[in-house]
Amino acid sequence: MAVTERTREKRGAGEQLVEMAWDPITRIIGNLGIYTKIDFANRRVAECHATSSLFRGYSVFMKGKDPRDAGFITSRICGICGDNHTTCSVYAQNMAYGIKTPPLGEDIINLGEAAEYMFDHTIYQDNLCFVDFCEAMVKATNPSVLQRARRTDAPHAEIHGYRTIADIMEAYNPFEGEVYKNALRVSRVTREMFCKMEGRHVHPSTLYPGGVGTMPEPTLFTDYLSRLVSILDFVKKAVAMNDDVFDFFYEALPGYEEVGRRRVLLGCWGAWQNPDVCDYRYENMSRWGRAMHVTPGVVVDGELVTTDLVDINLGIRILLGSSYYEDWVNEEPFVTHDPLGNPVDIRHPWNQTTIPVPQKRDFEDKYSWVMSPRWFDKRTGELLALDTGGGPFARLYATALAGLVDTPYVKATGSSVRISLPRSEKLPETTLEWRIPKWSNAIERDRARAYFIAYSAAMSLYFLERAMGRMRAGDMKVFQDFEVPDEGIGCGFHEAVRGVLSHHLVIKDKKIANYHPYPPTPWNASPRDVHGVPGPYEDAVQDMPIFEENGPDDFKGVDIMRAVRSFDPCLPCGVHMYLGKGNVLKKLHSPTFGASHG
Amino acid sequence: MGRIRVGKPHVKIDTPSHVRGIREGNAKRSMSRQIGHHKDHTADARRSTGIRPKKHDAILKIMPNLPPG
Repeated sequence: MAVTERTREKRGAGEQLVEMAWDPITRIIGNLGIYTKIDFANRRVAECHATSSLFRGYSVFMKGKDPRDAGFITSRICGICGDNHTTCSVYAQNMAYGIKTPPLGEDIINLGEAAEYMFDHTIYQDNLCFVDFCEAMVKATNPSVLQRARRTDAPHAEIHGYRTIADIMEAYNPFEGEVYKNALRVSRVTREMFCKMEGRHVHPSTLYPGGVGTMPEPTLFTDYLSRLVSILDFVKKAVAMNDDVFDFFYEALPGYEEVGRRRVLLGCWGAWQNPDVCDYRYENMSRWGRAMHVTPGVVVDGELVTTDLVDINLGIRILLGSSYYEDWVNEEPFVTHDPLGNPVDIRHPWNQTTIPVPQKRDFEDKYSWVMSPRWFDKRTGELLALDTGGGPFARLYATALAGLVDTPYVKATGSSVRISLPRSEKLPETTLEWRIPKWSNAIERDRARAYFIAYSAAMSLYFLERAMGRMRAGDMKVFQDFEVPDEGIGCGFHEAVRGVLSHHLVIKDKKIANYHPYPPTPWNASPRDVHGVPGPYEDAVQDMPIFEENGPDDFKGVDIMRAVRSFDPCLPCGVHMYLGKGNVLKKLHSPTFGASHG
Repeated sequence: MGRIRVGKPHVKIDTPSHVRGIREGNAKRSMSRQIGHHKDHTADARRSTGIRPKKHDAILKIMPNLPPG
């Protein structure tokens, strides 16, 4: 897969490129469009640009506000994983205020976040992503594959109850399929679990720096537990069904591993603090980062480069190049050195100043509101376009390689993650094992999501046991008081549902001087940076083979959509497609700030 | 906002935050003023109710005091 942009001259003279655009792929942080040029003669995607046409400006309007409001404001960044922002903001504020959440409070946050992962991954996987793999879609795009699916027995039929692969695909059919409907029910139950812990979904009302406002009591945890046990059957079946369908795709469509494939460049910022180790002090961040229940890490070509959150933090660079912003290199830096004395780059989020410059979209120049976050690999000097693998893929990959997570329910082995789930309503005690796959591609990103639901369910059991143990010992403290300092810096590292999440905070005069949230979508949907390196969506789709049986006239682009959706670009529920047969039908420009700024 | 022309804000940017003179929930020592919460991180039923709270406390000392919600 190409990592740098191909020039027009390199293309073959005989290529007949058809421009195709999917814009908007909606309900992500902003507005994602995928613009491609497809070479139907050779059945591959020749070129891809990912663009966002919406400016958010959180980093602009957060300045001057009371830092205690940050968690409540930044939660509004997203309508499905807002609580991840609140949590991450709480982490960053805890560091800036020099406080820590009491252990029982930390358990409550962990349980809330685990419920969020279970909720969000379920609704995304079964109600949105799997529409691309359902019987109706496969019938419309690859009828021969569906024929074969009808003849192929499902290897795990005894677990999920569907005899053939086509039966599973039918269960994925939107609005009618059994799995589709069950997933909606499960996402309701998991949302209830979330609300028990964090008060309200998706913008938590009981999450603050220094602790939680949730009242700890036995029924809080038993209500959560009974709901959790009620969904375990679904979780176990989902993993088996996912494995069956994805293995079938590899078998039925040889070469399908190339769909959405890119170099293994993964980032995971870690999730679920361990309250026994975590003190939120930057000086100890390497230690408490490694104690997290999903290990932070950067993986390059299958090798774990680091698990140190300090290294991860200092390596972050925000590049421009194809984004509608002015450079800030001439601005005053906010943080020249971190608390350990390491120099902090001007392109680091602590020092970033957002200077928007709205303009027309031009794929040869500037074409997106998304910046280009990259990670500086100090071994090679490369600026890596890390992706999150949709979240679970990077989380499982980094955790598996690091081998640090060792709990009664989840264990990282160095090459895999073993997840043990207890007996549930219909199915016996089950141990699942996610093994590091050969590729970083669409199917493996999707497969990891089902395993991570099981991971979250298993970790919830662990957090519940810990929380109830503390409560039995009489520990009821869930909040700590604090004062906002005149000056301070903080950084929070967490995993939003779809991948890495960091919040960087600078306080001056008890007000926010600089605040930069970096959610997963800027990493995944970033455009070409100043060095011409494409972002992960572009990289994964560019040069990708097309397996769809339809020609240009009734082309649905399902392979491209599977590749993009494998990254979980929030909720891609509304997809519009324009087919131009090589001609641009119409160009429209809508200036964000009105016609006078066109 | 760079070179973008923007209007004058109608309110101060930190308007929704703290009003002077009002006690802040996070203020130092506010935890010690919470009724029913103890210094050793335990709690009793006074945390949850003012009506005959002692009746809702644990009946034996070896039991954890788990106040009702």
